[in-house]
Amino acid sequence: MTVQTTSQRSGGGYLSRPAPSGLADVIEIILDKGLVIDAYVRVSLVGIELLTIDARIVIASVDTYLRFAEATNRLDLGTAEGKDLPGVLDDLREGGARKKTKGALAGVKDALTPGSSKDEDEDDEDDDSGRSRTRRSSSRSSSK
Amino acid sequence: MTAAPTAHPAGLLVYAVVSADQALPHVSGVGDGPLSSVGHGGVAAVVGPAPAEGSTGPADLRAYHEVVDALAASGPVAPVRFGYVLTDEQQVVTDVLAPRAEELGDLLAALAGRTELKVRARYIEEAVLAEVVRSDPEIRTLRERTRDVPEEVSWSDRVRLGELVAHAVEAKRRDEAADLWDLVAPHVVEMRETPGTGLDHLLAVALLVDDDRVSVLEEALEAYAEAAHERVRVRLTGPLPPYDFVGGA
Repeated sequence: MTVQTTSQRSGGGYLSRPAPSGLADVIEIILDKGLVIDAYVRVSLVGIELLTIDARIVIASVDTYLRFAEATNRLDLGTAEGKDLPGVLDDLREGGARKKTKGALAGVKDALTPGSSKDEDEDDEDDDSGRSRTRRSSSRSSSK
Repeated sequence: MTAAPTAHPAGLLVYAVVSADQALPHVSGVGDGPLSSVGHGGVAAVVGPAPAEGSTGPADLRAYHEVVDALAASGPVAPVRFGYVLTDEQQVVTDVLAPRAEELGDLLAALAGRTELKVRARYIEEAVLAEVVRSDPEIRTLRERTRDVPEEVSWSDRVRLGELVAHAVEAKRRDEAADLWDLVAPHVVEMRETPGTGLDHLLAVALLVDDDRVSVLEEALEAYAEAAHERVRVRLTGPLPPYDFVGGA
């Protein structure tokens, strides 16, 4: 009579709870986050900034559309339709809403553009050059 | 040629601001450097030797995160964005702590007893594409027409198909992201949407949560993840230091 049914695992397990470990995780968690201090030296990260820039770029372009088309064509509907997909009703409901959404991808792009923080970073680095007074150039730097 | 980048550790890397009475964690910092703290006006900056210019890489990011994470375990912490290097302790006081000690104190007070969690929901691509194909006759037709035809001869149809699919998925995403947002909102102090990419992106948010509400939030998300598991994957990361909730200070 215990209600310990088989499907009622405690914690369920559908929600994934990974510990952030990979580099990508750490980058996602910390890069461009945290308190900003005005105009001081920031060390530059080798290789990392570029990687995240790439990841953030989504272009509402022909290329994107072709990728979407390809993904749709790859789809094996024979299998997919066999599944009991929920949300068919949702689809019907949304079928009407869809027509109202114009330039939907633009929304995605907007959501992404707060990457203007990139520009801030570059400003910071510009300031750096003037600020690198950490070591006074001793006499004449004779090396050339 | 003259301005060679500072070849060895110069200055202090600033990790975070904490309450002045908080003990330093027993971890080493970037480049295995020792941590120290610089206090002023009830708050303290946790600092360590800065890495050499031009050599900073992934290991340093990790080390930085580990320090901030360890600090978060013993009290409220305001992470300082990775990479700030100041000349010496004096400069930390005069340029970071002194001008805003009160503000930083208020920020730490607001973060006390709270933690950051991140939720990322992604569609299972095949499932959501199948929904889109089923619900839109034009998409269905274009798919049939372009499927087994070389890209060169079906180019415009493919572009049109991709465009329709993109818009259909985006409309779906917008509705469902709002639903998920509403589901999470009652359990959090604050939430911020973070950028996401990809056809499968549904929602990515950073949440500031009261420590004693974390388990309730987990249950709500678990229920959602179970109900939606055939078409959505939900990932919950954290507790984390509140990286996303100190930027405005």
